[in-house]
Amino acid sequence: MSQVLFSTWQGELIDNRGKPKEEWEETKFKLPLEYDSGTPSRAFIGWDGVAIFDENIDAVKLACEYAHQYQKYSEACGRCAPGRWGGRILYDLLDKIARGEGSFDDIEHLQEISKTMMQTSKCEIGRTVPKPLLDLMEHYKEQFDVCILEQKKSHEYDKDTKYIAKITAPCMDMCPSHVDIPAYIEGVRDMEFTNSLKATRQTMPLAHTCGRVCPHPCEDACRRANLDEPISIMELKRLGADYETDHNLQWLHPQEPKPPRNDGKKVAIVGAGPAGLTAAYYLGLEGIAVDIFEELPVLGGEVAVGVPQYRMPIEKYNKDIELVTSLPTVNVYTNHKVDAKRLKELDAEYDAVLLAFGTRLSKKVRAKNEREEIKGYWGAISMLDKVNLWNKYKIGSPASEDLKDKVVVCVGGGFTSMDVVRCAVREGAKKVIMLYRRDEKTIIRNTTYEEYHEAVEEGVEFIFHSAVEEIIDENDVLKKLKVNRFELVPDPNGGRPQLVKIEGADFEIECDFLIPAVSQSADLSILPEEWNIELTSWNTILTNGRDYMSSRPGLFAAGDCEYGPMTIVNAVGQAKRAASVISRYIYDGKVSLTDEEIMEDHLKRLGVYNKNEKITGWMPGIPREVSEKLSVDERKTNNLEVNLGFTGEQAIAEAERCMRCYYIAMVAV
Amino acid sequence: MSEVKNVKKQTVTVTIDGKKITANYGKTILEVARENGIYIPTMCYLTKVEPIASCRMCVVEVEGVEGMILSCQEKAVDGAVITTNSEQLEKERQNIMKLYDVNHPLECGVCDKSGECDLQNKTLEFGVAEQSFSAKDMHRPVQNWGFISYDPSLCILCERCVRVCNEIVGSEQLQISPGGYKSTIVNTKPENDCVSCGECMAVCPVGALVSTDFKYTANAWELNKIPSSCALCSSGCQLYYDVKHGSISDPQEKIYRVTNEAEFSSLCGAGRFGFDYANTAAFKDKAKFEQAVEALKKADSIAFSSVITNEEALLLKNIAQETGAKLVCADAAGFAKFLKAYSSTSGRSLWSANLKTVANSDAIITLGLRVKDEAPMVKNHIAMAVKHNKAKVVYMHPMEDYAIGNLVSKFIKYEAGSEEGVTAMLLEFLTRGKEMPEALKEFIDELDIGNISGESSVSEEEIESLKLEFWKRRKFTLIVGEDLYNHPQAENIAKMLGVIERYSDFELLIVPPRSNSLGVALVCDELEDKPSGWTVGYNAPGDFVLSALGDGDLDMPAINQQEGTIATVDKRVVPLNVALGYDGYVLNDLANALGVGRKHTIDLTKELPQNRGFKPLEFDSLECAKFSPLGEDLRGYELKIIKKRASAKLEDVEDLPSFDGVVVYNCNSASNPNPFTQKAKMTAKEPKLVGSQQFAQAAKLNDGDLVEFEVEGQRCQRVFSIDTQMKGTIALNPTFDMGLSAFAVSSYKFSKVNIKKVGSGNE
Repeated sequence: MSQVLFSTWQGELIDNRGKPKEEWEETKFKLPLEYDSGTPSRAFIGWDGVAIFDENIDAVKLACEYAHQYQKYSEACGRCAPGRWGGRILYDLLDKIARGEGSFDDIEHLQEISKTMMQTSKCEIGRTVPKPLLDLMEHYKEQFDVCILEQKKSHEYDKDTKYIAKITAPCMDMCPSHVDIPAYIEGVRDMEFTNSLKATRQTMPLAHTCGRVCPHPCEDACRRANLDEPISIMELKRLGADYETDHNLQWLHPQEPKPPRNDGKKVAIVGAGPAGLTAAYYLGLEGIAVDIFEELPVLGGEVAVGVPQYRMPIEKYNKDIELVTSLPTVNVYTNHKVDAKRLKELDAEYDAVLLAFGTRLSKKVRAKNEREEIKGYWGAISMLDKVNLWNKYKIGSPASEDLKDKVVVCVGGGFTSMDVVRCAVREGAKKVIMLYRRDEKTIIRNTTYEEYHEAVEEGVEFIFHSAVEEIIDENDVLKKLKVNRFELVPDPNGGRPQLVKIEGADFEIECDFLIPAVSQSADLSILPEEWNIELTSWNTILTNGRDYMSSRPGLFAAGDCEYGPMTIVNAVGQAKRAASVISRYIYDGKVSLTDEEIMEDHLKRLGVYNKNEKITGWMPGIPREVSEKLSVDERKTNNLEVNLGFTGEQAIAEAERCMRCYYIAMVAV
Repeated sequence: MSEVKNVKKQTVTVTIDGKKITANYGKTILEVARENGIYIPTMCYLTKVEPIASCRMCVVEVEGVEGMILSCQEKAVDGAVITTNSEQLEKERQNIMKLYDVNHPLECGVCDKSGECDLQNKTLEFGVAEQSFSAKDMHRPVQNWGFISYDPSLCILCERCVRVCNEIVGSEQLQISPGGYKSTIVNTKPENDCVSCGECMAVCPVGALVSTDFKYTANAWELNKIPSSCALCSSGCQLYYDVKHGSISDPQEKIYRVTNEAEFSSLCGAGRFGFDYANTAAFKDKAKFEQAVEALKKADSIAFSSVITNEEALLLKNIAQETGAKLVCADAAGFAKFLKAYSSTSGRSLWSANLKTVANSDAIITLGLRVKDEAPMVKNHIAMAVKHNKAKVVYMHPMEDYAIGNLVSKFIKYEAGSEEGVTAMLLEFLTRGKEMPEALKEFIDELDIGNISGESSVSEEEIESLKLEFWKRRKFTLIVGEDLYNHPQAENIAKMLGVIERYSDFELLIVPPRSNSLGVALVCDELEDKPSGWTVGYNAPGDFVLSALGDGDLDMPAINQQEGTIATVDKRVVPLNVALGYDGYVLNDLANALGVGRKHTIDLTKELPQNRGFKPLEFDSLECAKFSPLGEDLRGYELKIIKKRASAKLEDVEDLPSFDGVVVYNCNSASNPNPFTQKAKMTAKEPKLVGSQQFAQAAKLNDGDLVEFEVEGQRCQRVFSIDTQMKGTIALNPTFDMGLSAFAVSSYKFSKVNIKKVGSGNE
């Protein structure tokens, strides 16, 4: 709740003009009253209305500038008749009025064109740009009238107020990497797959990967869901990447990589997982020298050694990786462990260091007698390392040597535990059991519907509401587990239901392996003690979540080691931002954000998706496309990719469902 | 998943403007309306591509759905009650037209499109009489793109050109440069990369993209459109010759340009720009005619090219029967034998695939043709398959073709001459695990794949990798071309292909080598590939030559000066009409002099042999430009496929002929396929021998050298040019400049040559 002078945001009508401050009505939205620390905003204008914070605002000029931004930020427009010409006319007429040459006919024409744009434009940008303009013309009519009647310039016409605009969309806003989703979907719709891929790679270098294993938070913010079902956003990302790979095209970069700067500046990155690769990519595109240090013999981090082949084929992931390493200024050093001593060296030698080493310590299940020495007690990370290093790289030995015909119990409930049990099936385990404290609904929410059902189909036995109380061994060899049963007891006060142990319902499972996959933590031994790096309460490296610099100047952190175990797309988003900050920091020693990034954060705070919005102008009832999956028999005993992806026809049909919900937001400061 | 699939199988019932209509799920509202004769105005819509959705004119109202619905893109949903016209819709459409008209240059008086311009038509239709608002205009200079000129001020950004360039032609050359009002179409690749097909121009609704050659030469309404079919290759595409006399003082008619039903079908560069090859100089030279009759009477051989109509082929057959001469057709004889051999194992007279099934495939192999140059329409349909179906395309040929690298997913290079072995490898791979007769199985089991692999340089791994390439694909097509038809082992190759078609998942497309090689093969039973004795040539070399190029002993009409039919790669018989009149003698006159003619050549259309699949239809009953509202080709008729007994045995794969030394591939480009288009002013080119750096080194040549060599007795003198993007040791050698001799080259298309340098690049 905050005080604004005037707002029509999302249908609210607050007009505090002429009222004493104490009587001011408050807005319920998190509008960007302050643009940047110390810089107040004067007004905010966007797809769903306009808010004025400064009583001296020039409403005519504000309207004119907003129309101008529609012209300027035109990646999203110029592709339909009403938007292309209508947008231009809006601007020309508003400017005519603002410079004191307008007439009331122009106002009428503005209203007429606005209506046509709102009814018939191809994407939301064209449909929504007129809305705040009409609001201003209505509520700040007197300013327009003065310009017309007195044929004089609007009062700030020649002043240089700064107007900062940003294109967004509900899905883009929700995506931690802010991928230009409508653009890559449009690329599929138009069958311009190279353009689709270039759009993705503006903020997401791992197109193959995030076209396969992203939990797609974007789809929860898809406006199409307000009409029928959300777009299958994630899978459409594969089309562009597959096109490049299938046709052996040269690397498609979002823009031509800049030549190496060779100015002595260089950046060290610790860890070649999604975060490390992403930061290297965007620094490399700028021509900045980057050295990546990776402890493992292979590149790719957990996506390489954690995510199984059947979900993320390594030959596809390698394409994403090669894209990064193909850049002339990116160097990689594998089998290179960075410890505290080495980090101090890097810190001294490089202009900035980015920590992106993830979380590779398996947490314990907190059972009695939980000891690493017990044979059969096997952390998820190390188990998956073994499986994947062999299956993907033929490093080590097959995990089937350990797991074949064995009984495997996994304790978990997230993606990693799903990978564990499904890999165990593929490695020939006799019986695979997943123990989970909560219920089926929660496991689906924590992973995906497909993931859970595919595991069930493959024969994994799920035991819900259960937890290991004690690990029972014989001479340090695992024999069985003592398991408690729980039930959900509703809170009589209406709070969250509590898990309560059912007395006398304990049971035992005889097994050969217990694989804890409850969570992972960061190995912080890398941080020199004397640096006193500030940590979060869950023992990850603390940053402000905006510029990703740690408490030590020049030391940045992104991905899981900053956030805790999270998604690939989250790591990519953080690393992209960190790379941007680093690209300036190494020259001026300052931590700064671009206007684009500041606006990104404002919009994130405000929220772009409105789940209650009613969709008009689209035909409801067109079902979401579903890609073909391998049948259980086809997939259970091998590592073939399970999801075959869309057929071309499906992809186009799905892309045609996208409503292109681009919006423009603008702040006047 | 099954749930979704069920929804899709359903038929839906919708009501459009009060009319109840049942249609299959998946059709758009606009498609359903068009099929039922209901008019919805559009500007950007183009039937042959996916909806573009840029103009927004096609909005309709749907009961219970708020807002206006885009009918071109939105599917007809069961129970929808749709209104295509209301006051509100009319007003919005009118407003869109007002916007389209903003600052559109008022130069209709000199615009090539005037009279057939969609903007003009719709402006009138929606009664936009004045411009009530404006925008600040900007300078937009005209650009020249080879045969085409682009005027961005006239462009309405409908995006049709971009769409066809990407989705139909597959060259991805044109792109939108988005920028609001500044948006424009850009040509992204250097000019020489463009396939110059003119597809973009053909679909432009306004005067933004026009032919530089045609520009300012005529008004649309003065031109007489002659509907016909293109006879420059076996695709037989629909076209119109736009014809008019020269001027008040020049009554001679000429072809000003070629247009087509671009809403539904396409043309390549040759068809669109290589039209002016008519033989206009001819007159009735009685004396020469008599000589021709005598020549035919005494001829031991009648040689002809298969750039000919079915009716002419039948005339020649009748003449030969009368005189006892043998028929020689260098470019169809091999093909005819190949077809026969194919039938002996496939059990059918003609191949199973057509262009449409190619476009619907998601797994394609091409073997033995340089598809972009030799079969541009096949290439287009491969592009459609790639764009629509994510088709995997395996391109098997001794030479890679980098220009279509964006369409091909795998190049498999084999040694020139090893086509039989490569076919055998495919046979073994594609029929694995299929039900087939024991004898065939045994034959395949006994193939020495290791040896074949060694000789063809196609590794077994490459063939095995197709398993992954085609994993979970649904519709398979194998496309084969001219390299196979004159191979020494052509018949065995054909038989193996017949087996592949019969027993594997693949459909087969056999691309006829010339315009009407298929028709010739079907009409003439016995064809030789080399003349013997005293020879009359009909558009082929001989001791007495009848030539449509105008350089023979007696002139003949070119193929666009004749009525008749040709048989296409689609196994369809399509009619040709007379674009320009012809004053000389025609073949039928000669036939009449020999007592085997008809009153008109086209009297023979109904006499074409039914036992080979032709229908006894009158020429005048054949449609020349007919398509269904959704674009189905309804021209002419489809050849009947005759069932055959599949009995033939396969022969052992011979040791492969080796092609060491300097090798050229005799091949013309798509826009200049033969000596006729070399006569046309836009498509004519300087013949060049083009090779890679590697070839230059092997042949000890420098860029720009003048060289001489012989291909099957034909002397070629050319400038040698290095193409730095090309790879390998085989050069491309055109034949379009050889005159009628080009049609006498019947050999396998790779030739070992002895290149003599006769001048250096610096001279």
